[in-house]
Amino acid sequence: MLQKLMRIGAAAATLVLIAGASAGADTIKVGIIGPLSGPFALGGKNFKAGVEAYVAVHGDTVAGNKVEFVYRDLDGPDPGKAKSVAQDLIIKEKVQYLGGVYLTPSAFAIAPMLEEANVPLVIFNAATSSITQKSPLIVRTSFTLWQTAVPLAKQVAKDGVKKLIITVTDYGPGNDAEAAFRKTFEAAGGKVVETIKMPLSAADFSPFLQRVKDSDAEAVFAFLPSGASTVGFAKAYVESGLKEKGIKLLATGDVTEESGLQAVGDAAIGIRTTYHYSLVHDSALNRDFVAAATKAIGNADELSFPAVAAYDGVHVIYKMIEATAGKQDAKTAVQSVSGLAWESPRGPVKIDPVTRSLTQTIYLREVAKENGRLVNKEIASYPDQPDWGLVK
Amino acid sequence: MSAVTARPSPLRGDFIKLAAVALAGLAALVLFPNDLGLMTRIASSAFLVVSLDLVTGYAGIATLGQAALFGLGAYAAANANLAGLGEPILMVAVGGLAGAVAGLIFGAVVLRSRGLAQLVLTIALVQLVHEAANKLSDITGGSDGLSGIDVAPILGAFRFDLYGRTGFVFALVLLLATLAVLSVIVRSPFGLKLRAIGRDPGRVRTLGAAVMPALLVTFTLSGAVAGMGGAIEAISTGVVGLDSVSFERSAMALVMLVLGGSGSLYGAVAGTAVFMGLESIISAANPFHWLIIVGVLLIVVVLFVPRGLTSLAGDVRRLLAIFGLRRDKR
Repeated sequence: MLQKLMRIGAAAATLVLIAGASAGADTIKVGIIGPLSGPFALGGKNFKAGVEAYVAVHGDTVAGNKVEFVYRDLDGPDPGKAKSVAQDLIIKEKVQYLGGVYLTPSAFAIAPMLEEANVPLVIFNAATSSITQKSPLIVRTSFTLWQTAVPLAKQVAKDGVKKLIITVTDYGPGNDAEAAFRKTFEAAGGKVVETIKMPLSAADFSPFLQRVKDSDAEAVFAFLPSGASTVGFAKAYVESGLKEKGIKLLATGDVTEESGLQAVGDAAIGIRTTYHYSLVHDSALNRDFVAAATKAIGNADELSFPAVAAYDGVHVIYKMIEATAGKQDAKTAVQSVSGLAWESPRGPVKIDPVTRSLTQTIYLREVAKENGRLVNKEIASYPDQPDWGLVK
Repeated sequence: MSAVTARPSPLRGDFIKLAAVALAGLAALVLFPNDLGLMTRIASSAFLVVSLDLVTGYAGIATLGQAALFGLGAYAAANANLAGLGEPILMVAVGGLAGAVAGLIFGAVVLRSRGLAQLVLTIALVQLVHEAANKLSDITGGSDGLSGIDVAPILGAFRFDLYGRTGFVFALVLLLATLAVLSVIVRSPFGLKLRAIGRDPGRVRTLGAAVMPALLVTFTLSGAVAGMGGAIEAISTGVVGLDSVSFERSAMALVMLVLGGSGSLYGAVAGTAVFMGLESIISAANPFHWLIIVGVLLIVVVLFVPRGLTSLAGDVRRLLAIFGLRRDKR
């Protein structure tokens, strides 16, 4: 009985595969997995805006093939759901490419099935360095915390700061940011006087900042996941009097991420961060991107960094479709974009053939007010930064 | 209701229900060969909801921390795998064992109080386990999740495939076996005592029966079932995340139980299948606003079918009897 069922199943699977192969000739489906509802919904909205912006600028036809995007919601860090959503896209929707993925555990869950499915995955956000090592078919167009934290640590040491305190959220990316900053800062001769790990659910940051005040540190490095907590932290920093005391707040750009920045208010002015992208990056390409993405998202206050990663992610997918002439060949597709360099709205970027993450310019920015809006104004740049988490 | 549906042998009714679950599973295998990933998740989640039913539906102890036992089973199985244990059946055994031990400890703590305080205690426990799992990233992977699980073919013969056929059959067979064992247990004198405790523990105590040991056994059993489910999820997903020990997961399990009807093993299974099936269909159709639709549906069910979907079966039977379509055995 079971054998018979297995045979029926196998036959059905074969049919699916044949159907998948023949469908590839005209319409190519791309599955986008992101948080379209729930607490991270803004990230998913930005994915969608980035994708739509790219299609608006470059069209939906590549090498004679029409590209169709299929969205699936993955509302939180749930690897089980991530896997079945990806299976659903691959098996039922017969997508040739996967894109998106906001959180690391989801990427880990999808990685093992890619080779059997013959589908490349372009990560639009999830920022843990080791993700691209989980499958040779993963390419990432976002950033890693090592990438953004290392140049900041070097700059801080160069500016003559000797004693520093680290405050990070106590979870994977926070630990990454801490390790990257500490290693680089200490190698440059600085001293980390204390590390404070704040719970992910913390809403009141004054006790942590009191400890910063009590220490003899000259500056504080912070990492928090973008969203409500960064707004609370930036506000608490100002209210605690640390700013007046002259203790500088240094952070990765997550803390002054654009969709939360207006809520912090003028108190944020002067906070310095390093990041791979600012909405006010000065280039014609970026202005076009912001215009198209703002139109796609509908509300200018919601536009933020995941949109540019999605925009570049679609660029990479288009290049892969071109290189394989629309045929489903994941390995060739990924090989064809290894080492690919192009001009992104964020500046020059290149896919590192070894890490399959972007090598890109990281900018030092300062929060300033322009035309009544708070922006991250770029004041210095560090070109060609690899993913320092994998490139030692 | 029991007067209406008196049957010659209660076990025969159980057998029919078990066969129905088996048939539904096999039908899913044939009719939805492309949805087996979802089906496997439903099966592994059914373990969690059934385990919750033992504690809440039968023994009458409300808990919002059941996922702690589920997740601990998952982490145990995953760690055993990373240490070199590839055989999935043994991994499930490890998960069940870890869940049982955790269930015993969980029960020993929770049973020290009653009522609302007890409910709060279960929440505190699951939050503690969640935070511990976040901190102990060497053995749990922290918030990144524990990945790198590499499962060997079952008994060296059946490899886990992309379509999830092996994973689903594996989960379904284990679910059926577990349900079979549990339906004997809940019909046994122990099971009847448990129901009595659930209705009125004070009365059972005055009758001279020991309440505490029975409840501890239930928590251990429930932990074993939850742990097995966690292990199955770890095997089929290949990653164990913090969500598996979360309060949210515990609360969702309670929603599914209420939806299906608590105090019935098959109600738990039906609730899981209906909820997760609907969630999947609606979220694929409208990935942006599906939560609202699911929320409204839940409210409708709770308002109009307060005893859960399985109570509808009894209603249908009664209706048939009223219209003379079914001989009433009264």
